Amino acid sequence: MTPRTPITLVTGPLGTGKTTLLRHILRTRPAKIAIVMNEFGEIAIDTKVIEGKNVRIAELGGGCVCCSLVGEFEAAVNEIIEKVAPEMIIVETTGLAEPEALVFNIQEALPQCRLDGVVSVIDADMLVRFPELGHTTRLQIEGADILLLNKIDLVQATQIEPLETKLREINPTAAIVRTERCQIDPELLFGIGREKEVARPQHRHQLDFESFTFSSDKAFSRDCFSRFANGLPASVVRAKGFIRLTDGAQLFNFVAGRWELEPFESDRTELVFIGKKIAAKKERILHALDECVAEK
Amino acid sequence: MAIIDSLKKISDTVWELPATYKEGMRVPARIIATEKLVREMDETVYQQISNVATLPGITRYALCMPDGHSGYGFPIGGVAAMDVGEGGVISPGGIGFDINCGMRLLTTNLTLDDVKPHLKEIVDLLFQRVPAGVGSHGFLKLSHSDFRDLVEQGARWCIEHDYGWNEDLELTEENGCIPGADASKISERAIERGYNQVGTLGSGNHYLEVQVARPEDVRDKDLAAKFGITIPNQIVVMFHCGSRGFGHQVATDYLQTFLKVMEPKYGIKILDRELACAPLDSPEGRDYFAAMKCGLNMSFANRQVILHRIREVFSEVFGRSAEDLGMRMVYDVAHNTAKLEKHSVDGKEKTLLVHRKGATRAFGPGHDEVAARYRDIGQPVIIGGSMETGSYLLVGTASGADTFFSTAHGSGRTMSRTKARKQWHGKQLQHDLEARGIYVRSTSWAGLAEEAGPAYKDIDEVIAATELAGISKPVARFTPIGNVKG
Repeated sequence: MTPRTPITLVTGPLGTGKTTLLRHILRTRPAKIAIVMNEFGEIAIDTKVIEGKNVRIAELGGGCVCCSLVGEFEAAVNEIIEKVAPEMIIVETTGLAEPEALVFNIQEALPQCRLDGVVSVIDADMLVRFPELGHTTRLQIEGADILLLNKIDLVQATQIEPLETKLREINPTAAIVRTERCQIDPELLFGIGREKEVARPQHRHQLDFESFTFSSDKAFSRDCFSRFANGLPASVVRAKGFIRLTDGAQLFNFVAGRWELEPFESDRTELVFIGKKIAAKKERILHALDECVAEK
Repeated sequence: MAIIDSLKKISDTVWELPATYKEGMRVPARIIATEKLVREMDETVYQQISNVATLPGITRYALCMPDGHSGYGFPIGGVAAMDVGEGGVISPGGIGFDINCGMRLLTTNLTLDDVKPHLKEIVDLLFQRVPAGVGSHGFLKLSHSDFRDLVEQGARWCIEHDYGWNEDLELTEENGCIPGADASKISERAIERGYNQVGTLGSGNHYLEVQVARPEDVRDKDLAAKFGITIPNQIVVMFHCGSRGFGHQVATDYLQTFLKVMEPKYGIKILDRELACAPLDSPEGRDYFAAMKCGLNMSFANRQVILHRIREVFSEVFGRSAEDLGMRMVYDVAHNTAKLEKHSVDGKEKTLLVHRKGATRAFGPGHDEVAARYRDIGQPVIIGGSMETGSYLLVGTASGADTFFSTAHGSGRTMSRTKARKQWHGKQLQHDLEARGIYVRSTSWAGLAEEAGPAYKDIDEVIAATELAGISKPVARFTPIGNVKG
């Protein structure tokens, strides 16, 4: 069985770095990515464009494409899956858009897709300069799983902590990742799609992020694993991989407290946990997971 | 202290946040609404309207209409008049991205009994001929250069190309073409997004409705007759749409420009970045004004082409010409604009840039800018309600000076789109509406659910508030029987 196509929503106010993030992803993520945006804009220039019924598709090389909507969003996504069969879809909203309706669309109207995450790019310098958050900006922060506090090089080091506090007041569950020029490890940004192996992040850009893996041949109890996932500490931003449950193997995707399982073929359990300074919690987490082994 | 406690009651329909409420406010902020509506507004509206009061050049008050709710920068329902001579700014957040989103109303000489047997056919055909949905494109095949002409000429371009009647222009705000639109101030991206969208409704809360004027809903028979509503159970057609992706791109382009120059070049400090602006009297401000006017014209043209298509559909269904069916325009009003107007401030006449975002201009009797046909009675105001509750035709009043002759534009959301989607199911809603005699076609079920009646403020309450405040006067209420939802 083929797992659902993951969709990542990239949102954030005008000029915070959404296009920079897309470029960074295309450079660092070796996958067949379809980017959906209102307009090709700065990503696809002078490339071959295929006119579809609901989308215009421009090739970006490496199997990646950039698509702009002609018809309804749901129909466009279906057409992209049919024509391009991407490994993942990234939807970039305009800086003026309120992301909540799109989130709902993906979750309710696109059963063949999985909302992998909502990533909001927030400009640290903007937060410092404008004391009141706009209505749309607030909605973009509220709806996020991962908040990129970007352009931290433009503010003083002492200003960053209060900015994180401000963001946390609006969205207490999202993971806040400090970035310069949107440089973030793609393993942190994305869950697991159709890859056969669980990759470990490099932690090249966010030095305070740590990761560890877990693997096992045993089968796990579903109920216990659900309790385990619900109980993961807030510092775990991403957890993903394959889990062999007694009733079948599953693909596991966890982001900032929200998680999903879906059937997947695997005879082993392989998980990776990524988060802020989580090495110290490794033993406790893995112990809790061990408790879930169904037959000892 | 809750913000509502900071509101000072000026009268039953005027509530004020004094200029001392927040640092930087240049004028007080006023909300025009009944106590019930004020209490129902979310607190963001108060924050937003008091932020608007800090903008350079703002004159008298930052205003919010009875249907106000929070939006990008300004609340939707926000009105702000800027004194250009005093460094007054222009702000895309005070106009809305859907530049010249507006309403158009036309009559027929048909009655409910005439239309009922053909209703499904009419609505299905309208659904086909007036494309709806996010990226929909129209039947007009324009080159980029045609489109540049169109955005400079507005509805006039359409009449010259046989999409309408001459009198349609007189019955459109600005005669369907605002002077000063300059297509050289438009980005290629905006052209690319808009050139194939003329004649389309778009998505969201945009719609096209076949409505009936029941005799008991005609509030002022004489005025109604002057607007062409003369027969019991007369059928009218009302639609709501704007400048599509084109206006959106113009707003996006200039928001980015303004963010770059606002503080470094003009020393303007704002509290909320979404209020990005520039002095109207600056190169950037003038460029945006000229580009925004292209958005105004694109939208007038869009509604003109849609009107043409509606006339074609009725003509086809009834086998009679549109003239014979009495398909005359009542009026076309914009409710997302900024325009230079003359207003009297403290006894002196001043030229002000009046931002109306989700607010309708409502000039009273005798005003020069009211179409000659209506000059002695006042400007028609068209206010759309939700598809379940009905819509209104009103008229501007002489007593509207305090709001720079502005009134409400719709009923205003009370609940987020997502919440509405969770509460109602589009398909079921369509079924329920049909059982109540309203036939609906929509491109998106989820989108239909967003527009469920209870997701909006009570339109009757909003209209009553505008009447009580003396900013517009109801003439007739229309009940929908057929709806094409964008």
